[in-house]
Amino acid sequence: MYDAISAEERGIPAVAIISDGFLEDAKSAASSRAMPGVRYVPTTVPPESTIKDVIEAGVLVAVDSIAKAAVTPLTAAERSPQAKPPEKISRIVFKGNLDEVNRFYYGRGWTDGFPIIPPTEEKVAEMLTGTDLKPDTLLGKLIPRQGKATIEKIAVNAVMAGALPTYMPVLIAATKLLLNSEMGFLGFCTFGVSTGSWSPFWVINGPIRNEINLNSGSGVLSPGNIANAAIGRAMGLIIKNIGGIRKGIEDMGVMGNPMKYTMVMAENEEASPWEPLHTEYGLKKTDNSVMISFPQSYIQHYPPSSDGEGIMRSVVNNIVPGMVYTVVFPPMHAKTLASLGWTKQSIKDYILKNARMAADRQRSMIAQNIGKSSESSTVPIIRDPRTLRIIVAGGPGAFIAHAIGGGPTPGKAEIEKIELPSGWDKLVKKYRNIVPNYVRY
Amino acid sequence: MPTKKETPLYEVISPWAEADPIPPRGLTVERPADLDGKTIGLFHIWKRASKPILDVLERELKKRFPAARFNWYAESQMNTPEIESNNKAKYETWLKGLDTVIFAYGD
Repeated sequence: MYDAISAEERGIPAVAIISDGFLEDAKSAASSRAMPGVRYVPTTVPPESTIKDVIEAGVLVAVDSIAKAAVTPLTAAERSPQAKPPEKISRIVFKGNLDEVNRFYYGRGWTDGFPIIPPTEEKVAEMLTGTDLKPDTLLGKLIPRQGKATIEKIAVNAVMAGALPTYMPVLIAATKLLLNSEMGFLGFCTFGVSTGSWSPFWVINGPIRNEINLNSGSGVLSPGNIANAAIGRAMGLIIKNIGGIRKGIEDMGVMGNPMKYTMVMAENEEASPWEPLHTEYGLKKTDNSVMISFPQSYIQHYPPSSDGEGIMRSVVNNIVPGMVYTVVFPPMHAKTLASLGWTKQSIKDYILKNARMAADRQRSMIAQNIGKSSESSTVPIIRDPRTLRIIVAGGPGAFIAHAIGGGPTPGKAEIEKIELPSGWDKLVKKYRNIVPNYVRY
Repeated sequence: MPTKKETPLYEVISPWAEADPIPPRGLTVERPADLDGKTIGLFHIWKRASKPILDVLERELKKRFPAARFNWYAESQMNTPEIESNNKAKYETWLKGLDTVIFAYGD
C-alpha cells in the first residue's frame, strides 16, 4: 500500500493487488499514510502461495476488476475524502468497579486478555516516582499509528501490567529502543505486524537486575517473578496502545506467539565466567541495559555429555536457520566451557564454523530451486557473528536454550542504556522486598 | 460479602496514546480512459506470490489491450517502501515513464 501511495504522490495512478485476508490491514495502512482512497483490489491468492494453478485462478477472477480500477474516473469521495473526526478520548476515560473497568478496557481492545490493574491517578502517580521525567515528556511517536509515547502513557500501561515503579527506567529505555528502530525489514514495526509472529525478547544486564528482582536463575523464563512478567507485559501493552499494533488488523501473525505475553530475561552475571552481554556493546559492567531481539521460536536441548565437546556439539546440532540467535547457557555448562578455555568469541567462532546445513537443503528452502539437482556440500547456517548472542542464565541443570528468529540489523537499535532517576536507592529500598516467599510443605 | 455500594470504584486513565490527526489526502491524478496503448508499470515485492501474480496479469492484460506496454520493477529492499529505500531515485525515474502502475502483492 505504501508503494501505491508513493506512486500517487508522484502523479502516477496506482492500483494495489492485495490478499483478501488483509483487507483490514490494507485499510489501516492507507489511513496511516493519510490516503484512504488509494485503490486496491483483493484476490483469493493466499499469501506466499507458490501453486501456479491457485495463482492463475485467483488472478483470472480479479483481472477485470484490476483493469477497471486502473481506468475508472475518480469519484468525489476519492478526490475529497471526508476526515473522520478523531475520537476524543478523555484522559479519565471510565469510572467503575474492578470488573467494570476490566470489561471496559477489554472491550476497547486495550488489554492482552488478562485482567489489568486499574490505572487510577494514584497508581499512575506512584508509577511516575520511577522516573525524573515529567508525565508529558514526549519520547517520540511510535509506529505505525504514530501514537505519542509520553511518560504518562508508558506509566499507565505499566500500571495495567502490574509493574512496580522501579521498572519504569527499563520501560523507558525499552520504548526508546522501539522508537529508534530502523524502518524496513529488520525494524520493530515489521516484526510487530508480520505474518511471522515475531516476539520481542528483552535481555537485561547490569546491577538493576538484582535491584528490581529480575529472575536470572531457575526457571528464568517461567512465570513467578513480577519483574520478568510485568516488564514484558507492559511493553506488549505499549506496543498495542501507543504503537497501535493490534492482532488481526496490524499484527497479521499467522499463528501468534505465547512469548508475546512476556519474554524477559536477566543475564546471570554472577554465575557467568564471561563478560556480561552489555559490555560487548561498549557499555560498562556497572551500566544497566536492555537489549532486544524478535525470536519466533524457543527451543531447549540436552547435551549428550557435559564435557566441552558434548556441550558444543549439542549447540551446533540445534542451530536452525534464522536471522538473530541467542544461545543461553546454564551456569554449569558455562563454567565447564570456561574452564576449558572457551570464551564467548571462541564459542561464536565454533558455531559459525560447525553449524552447517546441506547446501541442497538451503537451496530447497527457496521455491524456485525445488526439484533442481543438488550437491552434497554444506554451507554455514550463520554467516555474521554479530547476529549471534551468548548469555548465561537459568538454574542448576544441563538444558541449553536457543531463541531463534529476527532482530535489528547489527549496530542498529539493538541495545539501550537504562538511565536511573534521582533517589534510585531509596526507591529500590521501598520495593525491593516484594518477593514471593514460598511456604514449605 | 460487600454489597454493590461498598465495591470500590476506580476512575481510570486511558492507555491509548494521543496521535496528531492527519488530514486525509484525496487522489488527484486522473486515471487513463483506456489501458490500450498505455505503459503499465508492474511492481512486485519479494514475497513469493508477487511476481507470478503479475506474470498472469500481464498475460491477461495483453490479451485485452494488445497495444499496452509493460515495464517491470522489483522491490529492492525487503519490507521497505521503495521510496524510502536506497533506490529511491531509480524508482522515481521508473515511475516517470508510466501511465499507470500496479503493485503486488499486499499480504
